[in-house]
Amino acid sequence: MAELGSGALIIALMLAVYGLAASLLGARRHVPELVTSAVRATWGVTLLVVTAVIALVSAFLTHDFRLAYVAGRSSRDMPTHYVLAAFYGGQEGSLLYWVMIVGILGSLALYVHRRSDRALIPYVTATILSVMALLLFILTFVANPFELLPVTPIDGAGLNPLLRDPGMMVHPPLLLAGYASFTVPFAFAMAALITGRLGAEWLRSIRRWTLVAWGVLGCGLLAGAWWAYHVLGWGGYWGWDPVENVALLPWLTSTAFLHSVIVQERRGMLKVWNLSLLLASFILSVFGTFVVRSGLLSSVHAFAVSKVGPWFLLYLAAVAVIGIGLLIYRLPALQSDRAIESVTSRESGFLLNNLLFAALAFATFWGTVFPLFSELFWSTKLTVGPPFYNQVNGPLLLVLLVLMGVGPMLAWRRTDLRLLLRNLRWPLLAGLVTASGLLVWLGRPLAAAAFASVAFTTLVTLLEYLRAARARRRANRESYLAALGQLLRRNNRRYGGYLVHLAVLVMAIGVIASNFFQVERQFLVRPGETGTIGPYTIVYRGLDDRQTADAEVVAAKVDIYRGGVLRDSVESYRYFYRNYEDQPTARMGIATIGLDDVYVVLDRWEDDGTASLRVYINPLVIWIWIGGAVYILGTLTLFWPQPALARQRAGRLVRGVVPSEA
Amino acid sequence: MSGTALAQPVEKSRRRWFDLRLLVAALAIAGAVGYLMYTGLQSTAASYFVTVSELQQRAAEVEGKRVRVGGDVVPGSIRMGGPGEPIHFEITDGTSRLAVVYEGVLPDIFADGRHVIVEGVFRSSQPIHADTLLTQCPSRFESTPGQ
Repeated sequence: MAELGSGALIIALMLAVYGLAASLLGARRHVPELVTSAVRATWGVTLLVVTAVIALVSAFLTHDFRLAYVAGRSSRDMPTHYVLAAFYGGQEGSLLYWVMIVGILGSLALYVHRRSDRALIPYVTATILSVMALLLFILTFVANPFELLPVTPIDGAGLNPLLRDPGMMVHPPLLLAGYASFTVPFAFAMAALITGRLGAEWLRSIRRWTLVAWGVLGCGLLAGAWWAYHVLGWGGYWGWDPVENVALLPWLTSTAFLHSVIVQERRGMLKVWNLSLLLASFILSVFGTFVVRSGLLSSVHAFAVSKVGPWFLLYLAAVAVIGIGLLIYRLPALQSDRAIESVTSRESGFLLNNLLFAALAFATFWGTVFPLFSELFWSTKLTVGPPFYNQVNGPLLLVLLVLMGVGPMLAWRRTDLRLLLRNLRWPLLAGLVTASGLLVWLGRPLAAAAFASVAFTTLVTLLEYLRAARARRRANRESYLAALGQLLRRNNRRYGGYLVHLAVLVMAIGVIASNFFQVERQFLVRPGETGTIGPYTIVYRGLDDRQTADAEVVAAKVDIYRGGVLRDSVESYRYFYRNYEDQPTARMGIATIGLDDVYVVLDRWEDDGTASLRVYINPLVIWIWIGGAVYILGTLTLFWPQPALARQRAGRLVRGVVPSEA
Repeated sequence: MSGTALAQPVEKSRRRWFDLRLLVAALAIAGAVGYLMYTGLQSTAASYFVTVSELQQRAAEVEGKRVRVGGDVVPGSIRMGGPGEPIHFEITDGTSRLAVVYEGVLPDIFADGRHVIVEGVFRSSQPIHADTLLTQCPSRFESTPGQ
C-alpha cells in the first residue's frame, strides 16, 4: 500500500506539471487539443491523489505500522473512527487531504464550466494545477506520508488525546476543506485577470464557488468552537488563539466579498476591490494552513519549525506578487461603470460593510502577527490577548450588527429618508425599549446596547420577510407559509441571505450573553458536599473509576439543583490514554438548564474523593449552536437552483425599498 | 456595462465627490480602528513575551508589567498541593529559572519538561503569579509521541 501511495503521488506530480505546461502552451499558441488534455490531466491528477488517500486510509485501517505516519498517530486499541480521523491528524495527511479537496472541486469546476467559461478554462486549469503541483511536490519530497520506518513497531503511539474527540471527526476536515476550496474562486479570478475578461459573466461562477468555500469554512469554525467548548476547560468557545484567528481571516474577507460582489453585479462598481478580496481570501487560506503547520506564531521556543514552512512562504510571496502585479496591469479595465450617487444608498451601505469587515480582518491579522512585527521593529516581543480583540473587534462587530439592519432598507442609488425612517420606526422603537428595559434590569450599558442592536436588526429582518410574504399572499393568494417558501425558492439570494443574517443574530445573542454574564466559581468538595453558584446548588456525588478500550477514566458525578429541585446530573471526566498517561484529557460535564449552561470542570482530586471543581454558568450558549444550525440551513438555501433567472434579471430594473418577489 | 458611456460626462463631476466621501469614510474607520488598536496595545491587553533569561535581564523595564514567559517545566519542581491549592513550579530556558505560582484549573498537557507559557504581572524577587498557564496546542505536539 505504501508503494502504491508513494507512486501515485509521484505520477500525480509529473502529470500536474505536464498539465500546467500544456494548459499554458495551449492557451498561448491556441491549440485547443492541448487545453483539453490539460483539463483531462487535472482529472487524472485528482484520481491519483484520491488513490493515494485511499492507500493511506487503508494503511491506517489495517494498522500498517511500517509507515512512520501511521505508527505515530494510531494504535490498535483506538476506536475505528479515530483511526480513520488520524488520517488528517498530522501535517502530511492534512496536506494530502487539502490536495484532494482542491482536485475534486477543481475537476468539478472544470467540468461544470467547460462550456460557459471557455476562454477562462486554460488559466483556471493552470492555476489549479499549480496549487496542486506545489502541494504534491511538498508531499513527495518534504513531508511524505508514506515514509517507512526502519523498524516496524508492534503497536503505534496512538493519536494525541486532545484529538480523540467527536470534534475531530468534523472540525479539521471542514476547516481544511474550506481553506482548500478557496482555490477555485482564486483560479477564476486569476484567469479573468490574465485573459482580461473582466465582465460580469465570470462573477456568477465565482460567487457560487466562493459561497461553497465560505459556507464550509464557516461550518468548520463553528465545529471548532463547539469542540473547544466541550474539551478545553476554560468555559469558552473562542479564545482568540492565533490558530483560530488565521482560520477566521479568510472567512471575514470572503464574507466581505459575498456582499460587495452584489454591488459589482448590480452597479458595476468595486471591481478592483472584489478581486483583491478574492486574492486575499486565498492567500489567507494558504497562510492559515501554513501557520497551523509551522509553529511560527506559537512561541519563541516553538517546536522545530516544520520543513514545509519555507515552501509555503515562497508560494505566498509568489501568489501575492503575481496577483497584485496582474491587478495593477489590468487597472484600466477595472474602472467603475458608475459612481456612488448618495451616501444613503445601498451601495454605500455595502461599502461600509466591506470597510468594517476589512477592518476586522486587519485588526485580527495585526493582533495575531504582532509578536513577529514587534520583535522585528522594536526588538521587544509583545503579544496581545483576548482583551485586545474584545476591545478592537467588539465595537466593529456592534456597528456591523446595526448596519445589518439598516443596509437592507437602503435603496440602490438614493434612499428617500422619510421612507427609510417610516420603515425603521418599529425596529427603532424595539431597540430603544430593549435598551432601556435591559439597562434597568441588568444595569450593564454595553450589554444593553448590544442586545438592543440585535433586537433592532432582528425586527428589520423579520419585517422584510413579513412584507414580502404579505405582498405574495395578496398577489398569489398563498398561505403565509407557502409565500415564505416561495420567497426562499425564487429569491434565495435575498431571503436566504437574510436567513444567514438571522443565524448571525441568534449567535450574537449567545455571544453577548456569555461574554457579559458568565459566572465562575471554584469548589473544594468532599463527596456529598454542596456548593452554590448563582441560583444553582451543586451536589458532588464522588468519583468513579472506569476503563475503556484505550483509556482509564476518572469521572466526577455532580447533581445540579435549582430552587430545591434536581434539574440535571452531569459527569465531568479526565481521560488517561495509554501512552499518554501524563496528559490527562478533560471532558466537561455540561448541563443545559433553561437558558443557562452549567459547565463543570474536574480540576484535581485525591484518593479519598476530595475534588476541586470549577463551575461556570454560561448563559445562552445554546443559542450559538442553534444559530449555527440556522447558518447551515441559510447557506444551503443560497445554493438552491434559481428557476426564474430571466425574471430576476428583469427585476433588477425595479428599484425601491420593498422589492416585490421579482 | 453598456449604456453607461452616454452618462459619462455627468458622472465625471460626481466621481470626485464620491472619492472624497469614500476617503472620509475609510479614514474615519481606519482612524477609529487605529485608535482602538493603539489603546488596546497600551492597556493590559498586551504583554511582553520574553524568555526566562530575557526577563531577568530586563527586570527593571518590565517591573509591574504584564509578561508572558515561555519555558520548559523544570523536572521535579512541580508541587501540586491538594485539590484547590495553587500549583508551584519552575520554568527554565536552559540558563535561568523562574518560580511560578498558578491558581486555576490544571491544563491537560502539564508535566515535567513540557513547554509552557505563563502569563501574569512581574514583580522582581517574587515568584510570578500566573493567571493563565498555556500548554502547546495539540497540532504542534505531534512530534512528541513515540520518540
